[in-house]
Amino acid sequence: MNRRQVLWAGGAMGAAALLAACSSEDGGTTDGEPGGDTGPKSGGTLRIGALGRAGAITRDPHGTQANESDYLVIALVFDTLAVPGAKTNTVPRLAASWEHSADLKTWRFRLAGGAAFHDGTPVTADDVVWSLRRLRATPSGAARLPGVKGPESITADGADTVVVVSDHANADFPLMTRLTTFVMKKDTPDGALDKAPGTGPFRLDWYRGGNARLVRNDKWYGGTVHLDAIEVTMFETPQAMANALLAGQIDVASNAGAVAARTAATRKDIRVLRRPDDMAMPIVMRAAAGSPFADPRVREAMRLVVDRGAMVKQVLSGYGTVANDIMGTGDPAYAKDVPQRGRDLDRARRLLAEADFDLSRTYSLVTTEDIAGLAESATLFANQAREAGIKVEVVKQESGAFWNKTWKTGDFYTTYWGTNDSVAFFASKTMVSEAGQNETGWNDPAFDAAYRKASATADEKERAAVLKELQRIEYERSGYLLWGMADGIDLAATKVKGLPTLPGYGRVQLENAWLA
Amino acid sequence: MLVLLLALVFAAVELLPGDAASASSERGDSAADVEARRHLLGLDRPVWERFADWMTALPTGDLGTSARGQKVTDLLADPLPNTLLLGGTAFLLTVLASLALGCWAACRPGRLTDRIVSHAATAAFAVPEFVVSVGLLLVLALWSGWLPAVTLTGADGAPGSWTMLVMPVLALVIPQAGWNTRIVRGALADQARTPHVEAAHLDGLPVRRVVLRHALPGAVPAIATGIATSTGMLLGGAVVVETLFNYPGVGSVLASAVGGRDTPLIAGVVACAGAAISLVLLAADLLRDRILGARP
Repeated sequence: MNRRQVLWAGGAMGAAALLAACSSEDGGTTDGEPGGDTGPKSGGTLRIGALGRAGAITRDPHGTQANESDYLVIALVFDTLAVPGAKTNTVPRLAASWEHSADLKTWRFRLAGGAAFHDGTPVTADDVVWSLRRLRATPSGAARLPGVKGPESITADGADTVVVVSDHANADFPLMTRLTTFVMKKDTPDGALDKAPGTGPFRLDWYRGGNARLVRNDKWYGGTVHLDAIEVTMFETPQAMANALLAGQIDVASNAGAVAARTAATRKDIRVLRRPDDMAMPIVMRAAAGSPFADPRVREAMRLVVDRGAMVKQVLSGYGTVANDIMGTGDPAYAKDVPQRGRDLDRARRLLAEADFDLSRTYSLVTTEDIAGLAESATLFANQAREAGIKVEVVKQESGAFWNKTWKTGDFYTTYWGTNDSVAFFASKTMVSEAGQNETGWNDPAFDAAYRKASATADEKERAAVLKELQRIEYERSGYLLWGMADGIDLAATKVKGLPTLPGYGRVQLENAWLA
Repeated sequence: MLVLLLALVFAAVELLPGDAASASSERGDSAADVEARRHLLGLDRPVWERFADWMTALPTGDLGTSARGQKVTDLLADPLPNTLLLGGTAFLLTVLASLALGCWAACRPGRLTDRIVSHAATAAFAVPEFVVSVGLLLVLALWSGWLPAVTLTGADGAPGSWTMLVMPVLALVIPQAGWNTRIVRGALADQARTPHVEAAHLDGLPVRRVVLRHALPGAVPAIATGIATSTGMLLGGAVVVETLFNYPGVGSVLASAVGGRDTPLIAGVVACAGAAISLVLLAADLLRDRILGARP
């Protein structure tokens, strides 16, 4: 299983926010457990398992963290400017507040008062500037800090203000600073990354071969941390991680997946925590000329062919929700009033006939086995399409070949994204005609205009209206068939409270966890 | 032999789809980025040239640099001793168990005990490590709670407690002890037909004494060779077993190196495993020569 693409997606923009539909849960970082009237208790060591591979270990906060275990350790030791939130998808962390210029190009971040590194030195704007410049200089830097051209676009203004200039209006800029902008001390040499002090809720006690012990930072500016320590164990497979939890050797199995959840569901002493809107696994139809799916009527027909309920039930084992062909389901601005598209084979056949779609041909749906359920989703869709008279053949590709040869160029393939709390993120990254990762080869002037208007609109209400329009266009004619959203699934012993409920990389926010 | 094996490793990785540059590429990397990294990693050079470079550095103890830019020797510094501990313990227990069971059965030739041991040994060898591991996990950890289900490591990179070694070792020993018990029993049966053992038998010596004093010494060369060949299977099985028990050995390094098309890292693991196997085979040969008086 190869998760680097998901990690990149998550890393590129941080984790996602809580879907409004999840209002039964009482906030971003509580469990909704009954009888929780005795507040959090202090003390104890949380033992958590996270997936990782021995050959992919990294300690660089600005590198590519292919291992969840490494990312977890980094995220607990180092702080970012902003983090995902429950009510709004971006909430302050090391940056206590931010403001923008009228043209939405210049962003000023004011650092939190009292923030200090683990060795006691206060955090200054110079440290942040140095860290952001280092991040920008990485191979993925341009994607992580979109629109920020070079080091001269990141400057300090006094001791506690950082100014970042984007080359285009970007109302969503703070969203991009979530969970990637790890701040280190200015001039930390590359050789000292593993010992570098952070500013986070925990400081590193030791790290060895993917495993680590972290102890509480008593002087953390961000609030009270209850746990004395966190022990992170790296697991090669979700099965071994689930076994460790079942045997009581760890307290939390992070992102354990549906299979482990089914195993644990029968146990009374284990809770299955579902974080909705964790992963999108859309089917991509190439919208550009020359593709069999270039006609928007064909794309609509394909969206009418899929049986979404069956997909969620079989591909995701029920651990997910039905989606409506709009990417970014976890966004507070997600268009919930767009009617849910269902299965309508008659209408699909009519549309295909109108568009002169060649039903005698067999269409290849290319997929890869990077994540659980991805290839299965292609197979199930092929079966469903057959019921509408469309012949679809599933072609499985090895991961490297898939990303190098099929992704962004294929006519018909599956993809996945680990970040789903921003409609604007997907618009800018994958759907605007000039987007570098325009997976569907889509070019729609009305959509482009709506996106540009949204990113240049500061007023929240006005912006929401534009985003609604943007989502309607996407629903009607984009190249995506988004049938459902997979939940993120953690397993935990019942004594662990205050675990994160946010999707994506929200799962690493363990500062509010405590042991009963 | 080892050189040929390593050449095969280089060739095999070359045949796999994709290479280290594409395997480590991120979503969003352009073809030019991948090409640049390919150049950086030297993957644009012919495979025999990379192999020659790697081989010439080998005698100095330099195992090269992994695709992620780390020294292979550093990457193996923690896991290799752990795997040798696991494999070595399993090796010793395999020797002891198969000698004991084989001799025990040989003392009761043709009787029920002999037949039970033989059939059980065959069955044990026929069951793969994977199945043995899952069975052990269910019984000894998840149902009874007697042993920890997985290995957790401490600050020193070694298993946190010796109890964590029990199941991985058993999972390796059970199939290999089955195989070697058959060899021990067979070698003793061959010896039983030799004149001096038959003579000892006719002299009315107790069976136990005949087996241990007269038959066993002659059977040692055959047994040593059999057990030596187990080394390879023990190390191969360790890759599977380490994954199941989350044991911090070279198995997980090898698995991720193959996934990442990381040729120097794969070759490094193979070289270390090959060296260990060669050493045991050499020891077996020396033992055989000594006992047989250096006859060919």
